[in-house]
Order: sequence, then C-alpha cells, then structure tokens
Amino acid sequence: MAPLTEDPNPVHDIDALLINQDPNNKTEENNNHPKDKSAVLLGREENSISKNQNQGGEREMASIHRSGSRPQLDLSKAAIQGNFEEKDPTILLPNQSDDISHLALDIGGSLIKLVYFSRHEGQPIDDKRKKTVKERLGISNGNRRSFPILGGRLHFVKFETTKINECLDFIYSKQLHHGGMDSRHWNAEAPANDSAVIKATGGGAYKFTDLFKERLGVSLDKEDEMNCLVAGANFLLKAIRHEAFTHMEGQKEFVQIDHNDLFPYLLVNIGSGVSMIKVDGDGKFQRVSGTNVGGGTYWGLGRLLTKCKSFDELLELSQRGDNRTIDMLVGDIYGGMDYSKIGLSASTIASSFGKAISDNKELEDYRPEDISLSLLRMISYNIGQIAYLNALRFGLKRIFFGGFFIRGHAYTMDTISFAVHFWSKGDAQAMFLRHEGFLGALGAFMSYEKHGLDDLMVHQLVERFPMGAPYTGGKIHGPPLGDLNEKASSKISWMEKFVLRGTEITAPVPMAPPPGTTGLGGFEVPSSKGGTLRSDASALNIGVLHLVPTLEVFPLLADPKTYEPNTIDLADHNELEYWFTVLSAHLPDLVDKAVASEGGTDDAKRRGDAFACAFSAHLARFMLFPIEKELSINVTTLAKRTTLTVGFIKFSHFYMNGSDTRLKLIEEPAAYGKLGLANLLELREECLREFQFHDAYRSIKQRENEASLAVLPDLLVELDSMSEETRLLTLIEGVLAANIFDWGSRACVELYHKGTIIEIYRMSRDKMQRPWRVDDFDLFKERMLGSREKKPQPHKRALLFVDNSGADIVLGMLPLARELLRRGTEVVLVANSLPALNDVTAMELPDIVAEAAKHCDILRRAAEAGGLLVDAMINPSDGSKENSSSVPLMVVENGCGSPCIDLRQVSSELAAAAKDADLIILEGMGRALHTNFNAWFKCDALKFCESRLQIFAFDTSYNIKNIGLQLAMVKNQRLAEKLIKGNIYDCVCRYEPANLL
Amino acid sequence: MDVRDAGFQGNLDADQSESQISHLALDIGGSLIKLVYFSRNKDSPIDNNKDSKDSVIEGRLNFSNFETSKINDCLEFILSKKLHLGGFRCHEAPDGDKILIKATGGGAYKFADLIKEKLGVSIEKEEEMDCLVAGANFLLKAVHQEAFTYMDGRKEFVHIDHNDLYPYLLVNIGSGVSMIKVDGDGKFERISGTSVGGGTFWGLGRLLTNCKSFDELLELSHQGNNRVIDMLVGDIYGGLDYSKIGLSSTTIASSFGKAISDNRELEDYKPEDIARSLLRMISNNIGQISYLNALRFGLKRIFFGGFFIRSHAFTMDTISVAVNFWSKGEAKAMFLRHEGFLGALGAFMSYEKCGRDDSMAHQSVQRYPVCKPIVGDKICYPLNGDLNDNGSLECSVYAV
Repeated sequence: MAPLTEDPNPVHDIDALLINQDPNNKTEENNNHPKDKSAVLLGREENSISKNQNQGGEREMASIHRSGSRPQLDLSKAAIQGNFEEKDPTILLPNQSDDISHLALDIGGSLIKLVYFSRHEGQPIDDKRKKTVKERLGISNGNRRSFPILGGRLHFVKFETTKINECLDFIYSKQLHHGGMDSRHWNAEAPANDSAVIKATGGGAYKFTDLFKERLGVSLDKEDEMNCLVAGANFLLKAIRHEAFTHMEGQKEFVQIDHNDLFPYLLVNIGSGVSMIKVDGDGKFQRVSGTNVGGGTYWGLGRLLTKCKSFDELLELSQRGDNRTIDMLVGDIYGGMDYSKIGLSASTIASSFGKAISDNKELEDYRPEDISLSLLRMISYNIGQIAYLNALRFGLKRIFFGGFFIRGHAYTMDTISFAVHFWSKGDAQAMFLRHEGFLGALGAFMSYEKHGLDDLMVHQLVERFPMGAPYTGGKIHGPPLGDLNEKASSKISWMEKFVLRGTEITAPVPMAPPPGTTGLGGFEVPSSKGGTLRSDASALNIGVLHLVPTLEVFPLLADPKTYEPNTIDLADHNELEYWFTVLSAHLPDLVDKAVASEGGTDDAKRRGDAFACAFSAHLARFMLFPIEKELSINVTTLAKRTTLTVGFIKFSHFYMNGSDTRLKLIEEPAAYGKLGLANLLELREECLREFQFHDAYRSIKQRENEASLAVLPDLLVELDSMSEETRLLTLIEGVLAANIFDWGSRACVELYHKGTIIEIYRMSRDKMQRPWRVDDFDLFKERMLGSREKKPQPHKRALLFVDNSGADIVLGMLPLARELLRRGTEVVLVANSLPALNDVTAMELPDIVAEAAKHCDILRRAAEAGGLLVDAMINPSDGSKENSSSVPLMVVENGCGSPCIDLRQVSSELAAAAKDADLIILEGMGRALHTNFNAWFKCDALKFCESRLQIFAFDTSYNIKNIGLQLAMVKNQRLAEKLIKGNIYDCVCRYEPANLL
Repeated sequence: MDVRDAGFQGNLDADQSESQISHLALDIGGSLIKLVYFSRNKDSPIDNNKDSKDSVIEGRLNFSNFETSKINDCLEFILSKKLHLGGFRCHEAPDGDKILIKATGGGAYKFADLIKEKLGVSIEKEEEMDCLVAGANFLLKAVHQEAFTYMDGRKEFVHIDHNDLYPYLLVNIGSGVSMIKVDGDGKFERISGTSVGGGTFWGLGRLLTNCKSFDELLELSHQGNNRVIDMLVGDIYGGLDYSKIGLSSTTIASSFGKAISDNRELEDYKPEDIARSLLRMISNNIGQISYLNALRFGLKRIFFGGFFIRSHAFTMDTISVAVNFWSKGEAKAMFLRHEGFLGALGAFMSYEKCGRDDSMAHQSVQRYPVCKPIVGDKICYPLNGDLNDNGSLECSVYAV
C-alpha cells in the first residue's frame, strides 16, 4: 500500500471510531454521517484506501495550510502499519491512531509532563461471529452511559521545560493538539470554529499560553494545580492495582490500598518545590505545607556544583558517591563515637556539607559523585522530615510521595523512607507512586469533562510496557521520542535508531556487583543505608495504560479481592532466574519464527532485531550480569548476528551456549510493578506486537491445524464406536495426550506432513495410564454419566478455555466439546483475543470449527446454532435459526493476548458467557497451572454450578522449545515437584464439583 | 557565681595581664570553637573579708570564638592570655593533671589530646545538651534583655517572666541543628534536629563562592539578591500570585530552582546572590522545622541560638518570617544575644557543680545576677548585624 498522507481532519476519524466502537449507536450515527457509514462497512483495507482517496483534496490543502514544511513521521508510519494491518484484526485506522486523543499537560518549572489518550485499538465490531455471540449472550455495550466509553491507551511522556520546543514538536508531530476538547463530539455546545483547547496545569500553563497559541494554535485551559495533583493521585490510587509501594533499604513492597480506607492521606508532591497536601476525599483537600527545598534545589545546586548537563546525569552520579567526604557525620564531631545518648549513630549526618568548610579543599577537589549524593541526602531527608511532621500534625496515617524529583530512584526513596521512619520511630511509612511524576498531568487529563474515566474500574486498565517504556519512563524522553523530531524518517529507520540506541540504553544496566556476592547462592540485598550504596539501575518503568472498557472481572471468581492469577511468583529469585533463562534461550528462535512469519524480508529482519533488543532490555531490567570478561570474548564469536546490539548478544550468547554462567539477580521486577509469570509472558507478546509481529506462529499454527483436521474424521469414528464410559475416558486421555506434545518442534511438524499424527496421538493417548498424578476422573465421570439408576442432568453451559493450535484444539478439545454438545450442554470455546505463541485465537476458531463441522453433524448443527458457520447462514440475526435442533457451540475471546490468563481482566463477552455456565474446563499449563492453579471459583447454588475441570499434562511446555530437553525436563520436574509432588509428563485431571467447595 | 577557693585565688599572680582572669570553658563544635572566660575587673580586688562567709568578685564574662580548623590559633590565644590556668584544681589528681578545663561539643573529645599536649591541662567533658540548656536557662533568667524578636529589621526585646519560662523550644544552630524541648533546669529532651545548618551554609557557600570565611560569606549575602537564583512563585506563574494557596509571587517556590538554566554556569552567578539564596534556604528551613516541632509539643516560645545566626539581621529576619509564615502569625521566633555561646556558657556554669552542692550554687547565681550587659573591651555590641558580637558581660562572681 502506498504511504498515506496523514489525515488532516481528525473529526472524521472520530466519527468512524465512534461508530465502530459502539454498535448500539450505529444507526443514529450513520444517519447523521452517511459518508462514514460507507467507510465503516467497507473492509479495513478498503476503508483506509477509500479514506485516502476521499481526502486527497483535503490532504493537499493541509500541506499548504501547514506553514512548517517538516514532513510528518506519521506518513510513513501509516504506510508500514497499513502493510501489517491485515494481519491484525484490531487495528482499524492505523494512520490516524494518535490523532484521536486527549492531551493534558503539566508544565512545571523543570519538566513538562504530557498525558495523552489514544483510542488506538478499535475492535472491528462488524465481525459477524461477535455480533452473533453478542446477541445470543445478550451483551450490550454503552447502555450504561449516554456516550460510549472508548477503549484506548494512556501515554506518559515528559520533556525538560527548557526544551519546550521539543515538546511542541512532539505534540505537533503526533497531532495531539487536535485532541483536546474536540468540539463536535465532546462538547456539542462549543462553536465549530473554536480552536482546540488543551487542559494544562502547572505554572507554565500560564507562562507558555502564548507560545502554545502561536505554535500550535491551541488555547491552554488552565486547571488548578492542586486540584490536578489530587485528582491524579486519587485516580492512580483507585484505578491501578499496586500503584503504591513502600521502599525500605532497597526493598520495594507493593501495597494494596483499600479504596474505602484511602482517605485522609498526605500527598507530598516533590517538583521544583514541594507541596504537602492533606487529601480528605475526591476534590476535598488542603495544602497544609510545603518547602522550597525540592527537586529544583537539587538540580539547581547540583548543576552549579557538578556541571552535570541533566537532572538524570546528576542522579546517576549520586549512585557512585560517598557523602562522607562532604557531610559532617556525628562520628566526625565525636571522634568516631556514637552520640548514643540522643539516639544518633556515628554515621548520622550532623551537618550536610559540613566538611566542605575545610580550608584546603576547593570545589574541584571534591568528587561530583560525592557532592550529588550529599545533596540528594540532604534534600530527601529534609522533605521526609517535614512531611512526617505535617502528617503527625493532622493525624494522617499514610504519606504518599510523588512528583518528578523521585523518579523511581531507589536511593531517594530510601532516604525519604528512612527519614520518615526515623522521625516517626517506625510509626509512619513513606509510600511512593509508580506514576509519581505524572500526578498533575493526569489530573489535568481527568478534568476533561467527558473522558469517561471517572468511574473507571481497576479491571479495565492494563498496563503495558512498549519498547520505549524502559526509557521514556525513566529518562527524559527516550530514544524513540527523541527521534520524532527528525526529518521524515520511516518507521524502519526509526527502529534502526532504536537498535543503535539500545546499546547505550542497556549499557548502564550491568554494573559491577557489590563485593562479596558470588553466584546464585550469594544473592543479597545490599543495604543502601549508611555508607554503602547499592548499584541501582534506577527508575521504575512507567508503561502505557491501556484502557479497555470491555474488560470485566470474571464473574465466577469466588473472591476477586484475594484472587492471584500467578501460581509462580517471580519475586522468588529462583523462579525468576529460571524463567529468565527460558525466555532468553527461546529468544533467537522466536525472532527467527517472527521474521519468517513476515516473509523473511529485510524489513522483517530489522524489526526482528529491534524486537530482540527491546525485549532483552526489558529482561535486563530484572537481571544483572556480573561477568564482563567473558562478555568481550563472546561478542566476537557471535558476530554473525551483526546487526544486533551488544546488549542482545550478551543475552543470547550465554544461554545459547548452555554456559554455566551464574546470574546475579537484582530485585528489579519491582520496576514493573508487581510482576508475575503471566505478566512476563504477556510482556513478550506485547513486545512482539509492538514491532509489528502480529502472529509469529501463524504459518506453523496453520500447518498444524490442517494436519490435525485431516485426521479428525478418523478419530471421531473411533470415538463413536466406543461405549459411553470408555469414550469419556478416551476423550480426557485425548486432551492430555494432545496437550502433552510440543507440536511446534520440527520433528512434530514433520510428522504432520507424513500424516502419521493420529498414530502419535493414539500412542501418546495410550500412555496416559491412570491413575494420574491428580486423578479426579471418577468423580467427573459420575457427574457426567451418573450411576445406573439415576441419569444426571446435563450441564447447562460449559466454558472450555482452550490452549494450543493443532492437535490440542482439534484432536483434544473439539472432541470433548462435541461430547458435551451431544449431551445437551451448551459449549463456549474461550480463546485468546490476540495471538500468543501457538495458542489458538478466537479469530481462528470459527474456521477450524467450520472445517471440522464438514465431517460431523453434531458440530455442524451446534456451530450453526452458535452462529459460527457464517457462510451457511442467510441471515445471522434471523430468529428462526434460534430454534435449531442443537444446543449452540460458541466462541468467545478471553480479552487477552498472553499464554496465561488473569481472570480479573476478561472480555465482557466472556463475562457474559460465564453467567449461565456451570462447568469450567481449563486446559493447558499456561491457564491451568502457571496461572489459576490455586484459583477458586464461585458456585452459585441456584445454577448448580460445578466449579472446574482442570486438565493438563506437564509437558515440555511452549516456552522451552529450543532449550535442550534436559534442562526443560529438569526444570519442569522442579515445577512438577513443587506444585503436585509429581514428575515430568505427569498428568493432572482435577475436578472440583461445586458441592465440595 | 561560685568559684572554688583554692583554684581561683591561686591564679592571682602578679604577672597576669591587666584583667584578672579566671575560669575558662570551651565549646568545641564542628565549625567553631567558642570560649567563655571570666576576667576580674582590675579595680575590684578580692574582698575576702567583707563577709565572713562569701565574697563577691566583680568582673566580666568574655566571649571569643575561633574556627575549629584554626584550633592552633585558639590555643595560642588561650596561652597568651593564660586562660588555661583558669580551670579548677583537682587535688586528688596527679600533679600534671591538676588543672581541668570544662569543655563541651564534639571537639572536646576529639581535641582532648591536643589540648593536653599544648596547654598541659585536661579537658573535663560536659554533656553538650546539658550545657546548651544550662546556658540558655542562665541567660534567659539572669540577663536582662537577652531575648528579642526580629522582624522587618526591627529588634524588640522581650521580657520573659521567669515563672513562665518553661516549657520552651531551644533551637541551637551550630554546624547542624538541634531542637530541644526545655521543661526546666536540667529537664529537657532533644526532640528533633536537622542536618541542614550552619555547616551546610558555610560548606556549600565555600564551594559555591570561594569565600574565605563564614563571616565573609554572611557579609556577601547581605548584598545579594536571591531572585536571580531562586525560582519564585511568580516565575512559575508568570508574575501572578498563586493566591489560592496563600503564596505570593515573591514566595520562593524552589531554592536554586533557577540555576537549572542551561545557559548559565556557576561563574555567571554573583557570589552575593548565591550566598543570599543559600542563607534564605537554610534559615527558612530551620524556621519551618522548628515551628512544626513547637506545634507538635504545644510550645509557645521558640528560642534560636547557636553560631549560625551571629546576630545577622537577615538570618534572623528569614527565620522569623518562616516561623511567622508557617504559624500564620501565631508563633514568634526569638533570639538570644549570646546565641553562639550557649554551650560554652553552660560548660562554664558547670564549674559550680564542682563546688558545693548544686542548690546552693544556683542560689548564689541567682542572688547575684548579672544585670547589665556592657560594651566589651574592644568590640561594640552589635545590634545591627555586626559580625563580631564578642561582647562581655559584667558580672559578679560569688566566691566562697
């Protein structure tokens, strides 16, 4: 597709999106905007093209209109996205993605913070399958509100105030300024010719009003700074799980705050200066105190004393400093003795910079590192003390520290925490916010009247860490953003830059380990108090907040508050190390597959390398590499991947060689908030998508599905020849057998082609000798078949959470579904919304079912009833089909794109489908073991809901395909032992009827 | 003031300098050494026979200070004045250790050996807090017009009723800052403090301005304009007051907040402005923390002392403004004329403990208070922020 010119008229696209987002409003909207209707009804590809054609004239006008001749990045970006768009069902109007957005600014004395919302991922609602499912399940979106809630992403970006022009360029290049209060759709009363208004806070909102008007033609609508801070903090504390954490002696601990017990609290915002605000509720607050010794003091004094060129550089310096050379300690005054009578240890600072009074030393004689640290301690400690005194004064239990001074910097947080702890004698705790710097900007954003985020629920927000995230969050606009201002760069060259920058970015991560730590056993948390400084790679990552309004809490969860999806907690360093090894080892192969899935073009290769670099950088945030000597050797031997960065070579090489290199782990997972295995796996998938690899396993999945479907008829014949009881057992064995193999491996693919798949499957099935490690089959059988005299009532509806493509779905789950359908149970196949490895997706399932239905009447009738056989239906919404002789077979998406599932955030479709369900079947390691192994489901007595059937086998697992089998087996053995005291290849068939719970 | 008989009289040798000297006490801090010593008025010979039991010696309490880094100068000074002979004799001690000098401050530990070597006297270490409080209590009770407020350049002496003195907050600003809640004689508790004190001012000031002395730095700050370096509320809000939260446009939003500008290096700022900005930052901070602590314990009065202040008008003004600002006018900062010598004075006071029992000693002090501050021998009493407040106190020592 030819590169598209950026659409100068975003309003048009809002129409299109609104219509797409909300089917219920479609009719009226369409009447008003017939032109858009045609666009919507066209396919996505056609849509883009037609828009392009339609607006050719406007485009030229636009280029004339623009005074600056700077070509826009979005042009080429649109083209690239267009190329890949066909593979991604969720991107509707890629070239316009960022145009439709809300922008809010916090222009402080030192930094400008931007929060903007892009309604990026419009779901194609005209998908017929979905429509049918929605009708059947009675889902209706948007009825709760007078306007539709739009899904999208909340982005966080920052610039230095002195570089405001860069910020303006950024806004301009992303056309964010058109997304303020768009008059036509967000504020019907606004005059049509009124220029856009952008919400802004911070002192600069006054100061730079004219500049914004002149450069962007927008007015700044000034929001009260305190209002914004408080609104931002309240939003974060309520809407984001694990937003707040404590930080003592280098240890982060996330704090879950009960929304009902949030107020009152003290909010300490450390910007250039410091504001202390007592917050009593939404919009109820009072500025009770503050201090002029804040971030501006640190940076200002620091600049004068050290000649650092940036705040971050200064902060970085402090990590290598020793303040004892400059600060006068109690020990210095008392000749090394503690002044214990008043509770001061010899290492307590008696006087900040008190040693600098020495006559013999000038400024040049002190190390900048030491100066920076001394300054940091002085200011942090002072803020902590004043904050505590104010909390005490008003009897506030919690003190939250936010603002840009902190920047996730461990030492700063430690010092503040220490001060609060010290002065309160342990009674009070300092807490920090992950989005610390963006409170004001977020609050300004919240002040848009109809953003639809007011009553946002926690489960509707998903935080993702796109490629820029490790840097944009911690640095003042990272590499991706920095390049936005350069001349017409295509997406690809932008990525090349990213790859280059990757070297610089990963460089600070491997720091020399503190002395005395060796190997894995030597893991220790260095204390950051006193003189010893831990080598901290610094900032927390701030991801992009994805607002997905359709996400809901899975209604059958017994207790959503205590539910923890992750069976494996990566806070366990052994687990972290293991999964890090697995993911690192798998990376090169994943890159190969991903590149192949895009046709192996040069472009794909570049993107593959960029992906590897980005994901490695993410992983690097968790890990620390101590071995620099080996590194230099390995870099040369690995030269074949020449385009890769040093950073990546490091990662791939160690693990590809199966080297016994020891890892030094640091507790950086906290950089991403509380992170479980599910999140880590999803991070990888997101990272792939970020680099336009929408389905790396596409062709593999296709081959596997075809091969399995070819032998399905034989299997069905075999099954039908069995007695009811034998058949049930065979079906369960079949699910286990189909799940146990890693069909992604080459050997298995070969077998598919030779048509011997059914033989392997049968062989494997025969090996499933009972009793399994966990074997509730008899219990399940009794529920299904009953005893001789009493035939049980069939389940009303079963939810089958499916796993892999190929044999797993075709030969394992489909036959089981067929059996349930035959017994009069409605079956809902629950599959991923987005691809994750070789997992089958909700988009792929209808085709698979349709193919299978060609050979099976039961499946065909059920699929027809469930609206899956689109071609066969003359009118999908025709009521007569409802009277079909069969119970329906349906497909719903689960709302995620990860090999695991977090049941707190599932699609509204799935939530609706769950309401009538009385049987849940979870299959596969990702969803039944790595997550949800310990989950409890609610049983509604009235519905006679039986809780769940978990079926899975310990297999070589999707994520260890390319490691030596030895490692995988051993490692999985460990997992097997840990959870069920079992061995590799052990099978688990856990069944928990409702009445047992 | 009670003086031990033998120790005092033994020093009255003919070859002493014009003033008859007795009793030296030291406060050796991180940055400065403070000396308090008593000198007998020439025309006031000891009259042992006036009263059969007690005798009164007219004389002066003298105050001197040296930078700690120049301790040798200090020792020279002591030697030249033979102050070290003004300790008290301890009859039980071996010959060489017979003279003990009271000292407090961290340096009393650190420099004990040096002093022993150079002066041949031993240091008797007194608890620092004890000394501070004893010194302050003495001054507040015994010296007329010791405490004053300072606002907008106006000094106003405060009469303090001795019966309504306690409790009060004593903020001693030395290298660091100690905040002490005083409930009575010898009854006190260190409740808070901050490391941002006089040492910070001088240390940072030295690094930033190349000033050669604390006093030079203070002097500089007098001529400076902190608006060049500090980010004011008005700088952020484009000149508008941010009145909603009660901040005027001239309120400092961020100390040194303007120094982040890319175009200007350290050399581009005037040392005067830097000194001013630094002084305001530190004074303001101390004032704020002090007020918060006073509030916490319901203390009506906050007395600021310690060598940082040095009767420097602007320093006192800033602290007063801070206390006034944060307390919304409810609390007032008060200062002591002998602010820098609290510790040394306290150490000096502790000599009395070596004599008769404490209660008697106290009575004697109170019965013969020093009522009238006079101009010292050489240096004027600075009311206008003069740097040397080396004024002495006329006093009577109650000799036994």
